[in-house]
Amino acid sequence: QRIRSQNIVPCTVSQLLAAEQVDETFRIRDVEISQVTIMGIIRHAEKAPTNILYKVDDMTAAPMDVRQWVDTDEAGGENAVVPPGTYVKVAGHLRSFQNKKSLVAFKIMPLENMNEFTTHILEIVNAHMILRKNLMSASRAPQSFSSAGIGDMGGYGGGGSLPVNGLTAHQSQVLNLIKNCPVPEGMSLQELKHQLQNMSMSTIKQAVEFLSSEGHIYSTVDDDHYKSTDAE
Amino acid sequence: MEDVHEVPRKRIATAHLAQHIGKPVCFVGRVEKIHPTGKFLVLSDGEGKHTTVELSEPLDEEISGVLEVVGRVTNQATIMCMSYVQFREDKSPFDLELYNEALKIIHEFPEYFPFG
Repeated sequence: QRIRSQNIVPCTVSQLLAAEQVDETFRIRDVEISQVTIMGIIRHAEKAPTNILYKVDDMTAAPMDVRQWVDTDEAGGENAVVPPGTYVKVAGHLRSFQNKKSLVAFKIMPLENMNEFTTHILEIVNAHMILRKNLMSASRAPQSFSSAGIGDMGGYGGGGSLPVNGLTAHQSQVLNLIKNCPVPEGMSLQELKHQLQNMSMSTIKQAVEFLSSEGHIYSTVDDDHYKSTDAE
Repeated sequence: MEDVHEVPRKRIATAHLAQHIGKPVCFVGRVEKIHPTGKFLVLSDGEGKHTTVELSEPLDEEISGVLEVVGRVTNQATIMCMSYVQFREDKSPFDLELYNEALKIIHEFPEYFPFG
């Protein structure tokens, strides 16, 4: 089952280089990605009539090619070349051509506060950890992370507030269980509570109500049983 | 000798130097001392521990603040610097202690922050 990320996912260059391409989509360890952000230092900048080609280095691999298309009607301003030696945040789409990965940037912003870089590092670990946890079956026993400062990751219990594909971690877990239920009448609320030990019944009911109103699931024999609308 | 800028350079603090002898690394620290010859710098990391950095070319100007050094760890657990940049602090000071905490996290979760 795909978990599609409709958000912009912070990544390292090494993760982007390791992403696998299947048809039109990229996956980093099974998590689908499209729009990404990277942060690194510009090592090289080359201006062409229609685009600027940068090489952005975040130390995790060789510098990555980042292409920014230039609006040929616009004079200067938006499309001034950022000089090498500048730390930037790049938001863009991952591309692969002849087995070489690159980014097409829709935004390149010089960093004014280098503490943003520290935050970005933490956000990368956080985002990829949550995306990965959302993919795993929620019936696995929750792992405890050592208290390295991130605290409760929110994948199990706790807040679970980072939305992925429009769903919170709680909603994703409930949806995944319902999707994977083979029984014709679907999954019951009691069964969900049994599998999701760390979630209260009211949290589960809230998630079910949300998923149902969004059309991800529908009730079957009664209001306690649900199936997924996504055809397997 | 390969260009150290084309390979993964693990972000480390002073405490990790011994485990990375011979390896390409990236070290961020605050300038504490500059040797009179301009060939050596002492930088302090987020834990206040000092690392000696040897420059491939002597400095021709005074430098201060937070530097990000790219280079290789020598047998003496110093860093042979291939390039460095200064972190801008004109708008906000850089929180080196927080960066050190972030290093601990990326070292603990290499599957979510891979080098190479």
